[in-house]
Amino acid sequence: MRTLVKYGAFARIGVKLAVTERGELYGRMLFFVIILGVFSALWRAVAEAGLPVAVEPATLVWYLAATEWIVLSPAPAHVEIESEIRRGDVACQLVRPFSYVAATTAQGLGRLAVRAPVLAMVASGGAFAVTGRLPSGDAVVLVVPFGIAAMLAIHGLYVVTGLTAFWLGDSSPLFWIWQKLLFILGGLMLPLSIYPGWMQRLAAYTPFPYLLARPAGFVMASDAGGAWDLAWHLAAWTLTIALIAHAVFARAVKSLHLNGG
Amino acid sequence: MVLNNVVFFTFWWVLLARVPDIRGWQLRDMQLLFGITATSYGLVVAFAGGVRELGRFIDEGALDTLLTQPKPTLLYAAGLHSRASGFGDVASGACFIIASGYVGWANAPVVGLAVAAGAVTFLGAGILFFSLPFWLSRSETVSRQAWELILTFALYPEPLFGGAMRLLLFTLLPAGIVSYLPVDMVRHPSVAGVLMTLAAAAMYLALAVWTFKRGLTRYASGSRFVVFG
Repeated sequence: MRTLVKYGAFARIGVKLAVTERGELYGRMLFFVIILGVFSALWRAVAEAGLPVAVEPATLVWYLAATEWIVLSPAPAHVEIESEIRRGDVACQLVRPFSYVAATTAQGLGRLAVRAPVLAMVASGGAFAVTGRLPSGDAVVLVVPFGIAAMLAIHGLYVVTGLTAFWLGDSSPLFWIWQKLLFILGGLMLPLSIYPGWMQRLAAYTPFPYLLARPAGFVMASDAGGAWDLAWHLAAWTLTIALIAHAVFARAVKSLHLNGG
Repeated sequence: MVLNNVVFFTFWWVLLARVPDIRGWQLRDMQLLFGITATSYGLVVAFAGGVRELGRFIDEGALDTLLTQPKPTLLYAAGLHSRASGFGDVASGACFIIASGYVGWANAPVVGLAVAAGAVTFLGAGILFFSLPFWLSRSETVSRQAWELILTFALYPEPLFGGAMRLLLFTLLPAGIVSYLPVDMVRHPSVAGVLMTLAAAAMYLALAVWTFKRGLTRYASGSRFVVFG
């Protein structure tokens, strides 16, 4: 119970931070609406030549709304972690009675509690405005919980990336690499079924399709059987990312102690 | 930036492999569009990267030091910063242009002029948007987002946009002058096309310089001690 109260306080800090960081959120909202408008025009143009998948252009816009919602909702926590490591502030956190990784995660959850609903409204409002269509209720019921679960895993990736600053100093290059892999192998803009076979096979060995294409894919086909498979894969990858975060942090703390930091 | 450009282009590579023609645009046209846009943008951030900082200089009253210099203030401010990522953009942009197959010895000068027109317009739009803090304080974020919007629109084929959107892209958010006109200049070369593109770019830059000079008359010193360099 005390643990819950403790990390609940960090989550509340996250909520307050998200509220004060409105400028960045407004920027993401604007970008979101524009990109939905651009892709709506693009899919209409592609439809004239024949869509490469057996869905309507409006469905592809809703797919993009779902993937972008998942990508844009988690705040880039690695920037803050890296800055704390660089300034040496992280050393002060080590003597306090909480886990740094768990506290960072709780703060990320608090931020998500503000950002995800706001961006969900922008996503659904924007997609409806440009398509005049709504996805089925079954699809929404599946996309929302799996999308939120995927956001947690993405937040975990941000935490791991930030922690590498203990050794790398600048974690941005690592962030760029996995972010680009997420965009390509996760199917941010295109459903993976459009990709060449070798890219689909390669993507299946990574966590990325389970974070974007599979949750957003429910917009195209609500399949409860696929939901169980996705739940299993998402849970496995989230656990893996959490274990990596703890292992990286433990290793970092050990090296700090060795150096007398 | 090389990675960024290559990753984003993967989308077009995958899509155009399945749908080879979108309203007359094929993979090589997209390569040319990416090439000209990336090279133009790269040239600006590599050689006039300070333009992105103009808004901050104005907001914080940090132009004082530049105003006392014998060199033109705008030129000095723009040249103050150079971003290494710009060179990556120029390199990847050049690769895209070559891969498009549109460039040969005969039309290389036209391609060069197309890139120059794009860069001049990017620079002009940067000066114009980042001069906004002369009239509206704390508007740097808006300026930055508006400038980045040009890049967002410049990387999609022109036939996607019509009506009011098209008007916007050739005026307030000059993605049309940054990429659509220069690309058209290379795809369908004509003297009129070249002259129109260069004139549009030059006019945009002239408007931006005039706006900056007007803004300077409103500038209030920050009385700050700032060291550049």
